[in-house]
Amino acid sequence: MELVLDDLPALIFSAGSSTTTTTTTTTTVNDDISWEDWLSPHLNWSHEDFHPFLAAVGDHYFATLPHNIQNQSSSTSSTTTTPEEDPTPPTKFPIESNKTQRLLHLLTAAAEALSGDLNGQDLARVILIRLRELLSTDNAGSGIERLTNHFTEGLNALLDGDATFPRRSESNQFPYRHYPAAEVLTAFQLLQDMSPIASFGHLTANQAIIEAVAGECRVHIVDYDIAEGIQWASLIQEMASRNDGLPPPHLKITAVTNGKRRSASAAKETGRRLSDFAASVGQPFSFRLCRLDQHKRFHLAAVKLVKGEPVVVNCVLNPGQVGYGHGSVTSVGSFLVGAVGLRARLVTLIEEDIGAAAGEEKGSFLRRFMIELERYMAIWESLEAGFPKQGRVREMVERVILGPRIIGAVRRAYGWNGIREPIVEECGEWMAAAGFARVGLSFSNLCQARLLLGLFNDGYKVEDDASNKLLLSWKSRRLLSASVWTIPTRMSPSPSPSLAI
Amino acid sequence: MFSSKKPTMNSHERPPMCVQGDSGLVLTTDPKPRLRWTVELHDRFVDAVAQLGGPDKATPKTIMRVMGVKGLTLYHLKSHLQKFRLGKQPHKEFNDHSKDALDMQRNAASSSGIMSRTAMNNDRNVQITEALRMQKEVQRRLHEQLEVQKHLQMRIEAQGKYMQSILEKAYQSLAGEGAMIATGSYKDLQNQATMNQLGAMAFPSLQDLHLFNNDQLEISPQLDRPLEDFFPSNEIALCLGKKRPNPYSYSNGKSPLIWSDELKLQEFGSHEENLKNNIDHEHLQIAPSIINGGMEMESMADVYEAKPVLSVDSNGEKYEGSSKVGRPSSAPRRATVSTPERMSPMIRGGGLGQTRNLSYA
Repeated sequence: MELVLDDLPALIFSAGSSTTTTTTTTTTVNDDISWEDWLSPHLNWSHEDFHPFLAAVGDHYFATLPHNIQNQSSSTSSTTTTPEEDPTPPTKFPIESNKTQRLLHLLTAAAEALSGDLNGQDLARVILIRLRELLSTDNAGSGIERLTNHFTEGLNALLDGDATFPRRSESNQFPYRHYPAAEVLTAFQLLQDMSPIASFGHLTANQAIIEAVAGECRVHIVDYDIAEGIQWASLIQEMASRNDGLPPPHLKITAVTNGKRRSASAAKETGRRLSDFAASVGQPFSFRLCRLDQHKRFHLAAVKLVKGEPVVVNCVLNPGQVGYGHGSVTSVGSFLVGAVGLRARLVTLIEEDIGAAAGEEKGSFLRRFMIELERYMAIWESLEAGFPKQGRVREMVERVILGPRIIGAVRRAYGWNGIREPIVEECGEWMAAAGFARVGLSFSNLCQARLLLGLFNDGYKVEDDASNKLLLSWKSRRLLSASVWTIPTRMSPSPSPSLAI
Repeated sequence: MFSSKKPTMNSHERPPMCVQGDSGLVLTTDPKPRLRWTVELHDRFVDAVAQLGGPDKATPKTIMRVMGVKGLTLYHLKSHLQKFRLGKQPHKEFNDHSKDALDMQRNAASSSGIMSRTAMNNDRNVQITEALRMQKEVQRRLHEQLEVQKHLQMRIEAQGKYMQSILEKAYQSLAGEGAMIATGSYKDLQNQATMNQLGAMAFPSLQDLHLFNNDQLEISPQLDRPLEDFFPSNEIALCLGKKRPNPYSYSNGKSPLIWSDELKLQEFGSHEENLKNNIDHEHLQIAPSIINGGMEMESMADVYEAKPVLSVDSNGEKYEGSSKVGRPSSAPRRATVSTPERMSPMIRGGGLGQTRNLSYA
């Protein structure tokens, strides 16, 4: 182990710290290179935790750091603190050993390397190789080791699959590893039992939808990413059991697919299952597909509308589903613009919240990478807190469900650099900026969210944010948000689908 | 500031609604002086509990120390804490509004008269009206919350039913693929230890409605406790064996999800086994993976402390559970519930042969 660390200082130096020279790039891209930024305030590592580590790495470089760190702690970094942020410190993941610190340090170093200019690739690869060596290959490692493993994979996927790097034909496909459907479903059901993150978004969106279409005799939902259709099961049941004497409204769901054969057949299968389920509860139901074009853009014409039916547009942005243009800015942007064309009564959005307000400088890949690292650390911690003894079950859920999400999240964080097709972030902010109107969430909705959280560990919190959004967080670390919108009465002409913030 | 008619006299001579010093306790002047938990006192209590890490971690002694209120005894705190714990789940994350309103309602409804937070107004009629209005508001909110609860339960159940059905279909299509299934892909799932943990989880999944019924034990706080609390089925039996029949439809009290979780992992194994050995099983058999051995058996035995319904035959690895247990969803709706002994085999999922005949609703 020591061997690794001895080699590190040299590597780190050349990674482009502000004190060294050759590989530093222009300041516009390289705003995060300084060491202080590595110790992001989000990580909340106490200085004590770091000192032994720093001592091991190399005195001469880091001798001045304690001062920097202390300065850092007093002046909080501006970009990612939001007014709503708790004064309570964010998740403090138990850092068990030096090994953990090393792993995390290596991870951030790799991310940092990729954050710089293109030369950083080689460095990143080297670091990732070292990480691989350190991490145990089976999944029996500690929580943090498993987490680091997934993020390492994410960075590897980035290096392997990026368009500017050596190109491989279909390696952009996700999920990165293809698990059999039964395994994915099992893992998802376990996740539903273990954490509210699985159902929170669905339930919130559905409640808003039910409120919005009360009294209608037809409802048409256009869903961007239907996946297994789990979100709609409870809606179907709810509609079927309407107790106001009226017959249930006819529910039609149009699922958007990315045009590839596999995606279309998966969606069709989901449609079949939903139809069977609806039939079993006596709910009139129909299902359609709607294909995106070759550039993953959404076209209104692809949707069959019935005159007078209210349209609800549902958009779940799951990073694990991102791939091949799905989830990209172009795709989602065109979809949301399409919502306007459909004259949607409601647009429900579920996404991983980043916590940056609109208009803020999003910062570099490293900063966004750290945000994702913390987010998933929080999720890891929340699962462990709730189910401390079920390590193997957690490992399976982490691997099958969360792993692909991490890989997608790393991509999303990277995509912002503009090197490749950017993936949607902060969709809600874009919608607000584009003129979508906020639809306030009802007391029942908030109440439902609280009840849901009551079923799980105390650490989860739900808060409302900006009147139309519910935010699920674990100990002040934001995890997910569900927001409800309606189409603007007036929209800026030809709104650009790019997140030009 | 309070008329002498009010029996709520502060033993420390300070009017309760004014500045609450460190020791502003409100005691009644009944023959048996009882502590009145005013809103402020309760708030301090809640803060202290929160500081101590929640109602489960806090103890009356520590609360007393943290609160630092003179005259507060362990006895007061014990009973208040117990009430708080019991009442915590349903009221936990509710609008603070309603909690305050409830407290106010409680105070308002007391025989003493009205203590209005808002008004320094001594006009009794106004205060009564105010209290009644608040009471109505509170009742309305409570009613709404109950509605939300009901709907949430239904929705969670629907999710569960749907998940079960698609899992079934996924297994069926797997079985259909026959020997083509790459055994490698199931290696992870076949991990017996995982299955152990899963069975041992027995955590009342979202579908366990007892959570929502105020009169029954809360299960939710137990979600974050270690398993031992659960598993020696006393608590489960308690939770499930309540006299009052569960008003909701999936009332047999067992969490369908537990089984289906078990089932899933088992079925992965069982498919493997089937394919490899062509075992004809009418009972669901757990076919553990390569990794197993006696070690796994022990851990299962540890976990399931029930009598050995398990039989391990010479192959080492077939478990047959009792066959009298049916699948929860296809079992007739029962209001009462099984005994603890029966719980274990059920949780183990043994004998759940009719896995495919899922019926909805």
